[in-house]
Amino acid sequence: MGSVAGDGEMMTTATSNAQPPTSNVQRGEETTSSSIAWRVLAIIIGALFVYAGVLKAWDPIRFAGDIENYHILPWALNLGLAFFLPWLEMICGLALIVRRGYSGALALLFALLLVFIGASIAAKARGIDISCGCFGHVSDQLSFAWHLVLDFAILAAVVALWLKQRND
Amino acid sequence: MRSLLRQSALLLGLALLPAAGQALYFRDKVSWHSPVPASEMVTIADARGWGDSAIWIDARPEAEFTKEHVPGAILLNEDRWNELLPQMLATWSSEKRVVIYCSSESCGSSREVARRLRKEAQLKNVFVLEGGWEAWRGTGK
Repeated sequence: MGSVAGDGEMMTTATSNAQPPTSNVQRGEETTSSSIAWRVLAIIIGALFVYAGVLKAWDPIRFAGDIENYHILPWALNLGLAFFLPWLEMICGLALIVRRGYSGALALLFALLLVFIGASIAAKARGIDISCGCFGHVSDQLSFAWHLVLDFAILAAVVALWLKQRND
Repeated sequence: MRSLLRQSALLLGLALLPAAGQALYFRDKVSWHSPVPASEMVTIADARGWGDSAIWIDARPEAEFTKEHVPGAILLNEDRWNELLPQMLATWSSEKRVVIYCSSESCGSSREVARRLRKEAQLKNVFVLEGGWEAWRGTGK
């Protein structure tokens, strides 16, 4: 038995030795490329939120007006959110870039995006003509459909980053 | 899960600090009761009473303005701000009062145009029309 097992071990060793030595290197290179791609995606999404946050924090009163246009919350709460949300976006964006508090940042950004998409669809359904204010003046010219496409694309990227982080 | 909650709470707390600082900085610059302070709103009756001393500004998109607008109103919206502002300023003088409207009470463009006129053009006596175009039409013109 022992010799059989020994032979098996020898065969396994022989088989693995028979693999071209470059395959492991190739696999390693693919893994590295994949890791870089995920890292780049996290940095892009992080930078996007930092940019969006800076634009809104620069003019919080205007952003409060944009939230007010949704007609969901009272003005005082809209104003409070206009001070708070841009900083939350910036800090979560930075967390994705520097990879500190990464899971928490992804969870918060996921929640923010869900709430925002829900509020946008609800406002549109009620016939309210809204400017989302997501990227300050920059996004004013975007149609509602393009806003949604952009939001769902960012949401998909956040979910993908979350799943990747869980599997690692 | 616990780590996720801890991270989220930490990020929320970190965001709260600069937000509170900014809110403190703006505490005297903005009303917490209404997006437009009552002193910057005007009713249709009052604005009509101002007669020729009022400049009416339509802050809606150009297509809506072309279809119908308050008689004598000038188009000034954010879509063509740089182009339309000089035209508006050409009709303005310091004794005039500016009345801005958009489609309804719920639209925000009149507030935004009013804010930019005060901030960027340094105009005083700038008012937002209560109820906007919808209310104007409701009065039977």
